[in-house]
Amino acid sequence: MIEITNLYKSFGDLVVLSGLSLSVARGETFSILGKSGTGKSVTLKCIVGLLEPDAGEVLVDSTRVDISNRRGLSEIRKKTGFLFQGGALYDSMSVRKNLTFNLRRHHKVTNNEANEKAEHYLTLVGLKGAIDKMPSELSGGMRKRAALARALVIEPQILLYDEPTTGLDPITSAEISELIGDMHKRFGMTAIVVTHDILCAGIVSDRAGVLKDGLLKYTGKMNELAGIEDEEVRGFFRNPL
Amino acid sequence: MKRFFVRVYDLTAFSLRFFKEALLPPYEFGEFAQHLQNFGSRSFPLVSVIGLLMGLILALQTKPTLERFGAESFLPAMVAISVIRELGPVITALVVAGRVSSGIGAEIGSMRVTEQIDALEVSSVDPYRFLVVPRVLAGTIALPLLTAYADLLAVLGAYVFMFVSGGMGWQLFVTSTISSLSISDVVPGIGKTFFFGYVISIVGSYFGFNAAGGTEGVGKAATSAVVFASFLILIMDFVLVKVGILLFE
Repeated sequence: MIEITNLYKSFGDLVVLSGLSLSVARGETFSILGKSGTGKSVTLKCIVGLLEPDAGEVLVDSTRVDISNRRGLSEIRKKTGFLFQGGALYDSMSVRKNLTFNLRRHHKVTNNEANEKAEHYLTLVGLKGAIDKMPSELSGGMRKRAALARALVIEPQILLYDEPTTGLDPITSAEISELIGDMHKRFGMTAIVVTHDILCAGIVSDRAGVLKDGLLKYTGKMNELAGIEDEEVRGFFRNPL
Repeated sequence: MKRFFVRVYDLTAFSLRFFKEALLPPYEFGEFAQHLQNFGSRSFPLVSVIGLLMGLILALQTKPTLERFGAESFLPAMVAISVIRELGPVITALVVAGRVSSGIGAEIGSMRVTEQIDALEVSSVDPYRFLVVPRVLAGTIALPLLTAYADLLAVLGAYVFMFVSGGMGWQLFVTSTISSLSISDVVPGIGKTFFFGYVISIVGSYFGFNAAGGTEGVGKAATSAVVFASFLILIMDFVLVKVGILLFE
């Protein structure tokens, strides 16, 4: 479970988050919607300790991330998968090594087990044929799939997605969204999806919230959000692509 | 000006962190071996050409002057001492800084702007230990080896010039070279390259680690790494020559 209370974060004079609170139950998928630059990615990075909040509490499975030391953060990160906006696959490693890298370091598996898992998750995302390719040889959609497999291969309890469909064509976006939805049904992990793609949010989320002025202004099920009389919220639903 | 001092402070803290992190496990032997090989293979061809040219040019420049005083036989000694004490280490370090420091800055910088460093952190891998420590260790070990190789080629270059200009036989050249050198020439000359190798890799890593702003940031990191590393090599050379004189003479 993830619980954020009164989160504040600024970069110099730029206030990004000003008192954001959020609660995501175990097994729930929550989407954070919002325009670019509203602090969606900053929120995700505060959850895994990549950014230190100025004030507020971030609780992941009863551990305070915001005050954790290196060891505490490491424990939280071992059970958390993170899908970065651009995939962030390691350029110098093949897809196979990208997937087995984390497994072999922290999850005490043999080389054979790591390879089997890598093949299994690449098959799930429809990318088994690319296992020995380098990231530079993959298309945008394939990179996202490989990055998703990398996030899944450690079998995380929590998955955080930073703009999983950005930069993809509408068909690939829908495929990736369906894939994420399938994975959640299959593995039941807790997930936060940061996106401005309303179709993706509709496919993957149990609940969603709209981030505006540093706060989650509206939260609820997607059909509830669709009925809110706010120009920005309506804008998302009016222009789904 | 304030920004410059902040940068120097940051770079100092980043550099000193190496000595703490290098001692702590896990040790990245695989990464170290790969970077050692990269460091060598990236610089080997360039260092070979520069080494040979260094000897040739030095011999070409000094021969007429020595001839004027009837001291042509001192040429092997003059080349060997100048190359091993000063020119070899400094020129090799500057050439390698241009090649390797910028490479490290661009590599790590591109990992920073494409969030690969964040991905390492989220995977509970300390990016400093994984990316910086093996590169700096590799640089510190590889540069002395490259310098020794460049020194040898420079001496060979000088011999080639002497041979072509009909001055001296191989045996006389080698005897004259070896007898002119002492431990106080070789140890400070090679010794300072450990420091230069460390500077080249740590400065490249620092600018890469702090790259920001997309591809432009990667370019800036690579350029700043070369400029700063070259500047520090020359400053450090001045200090280490002084130390060498105090210790060995």
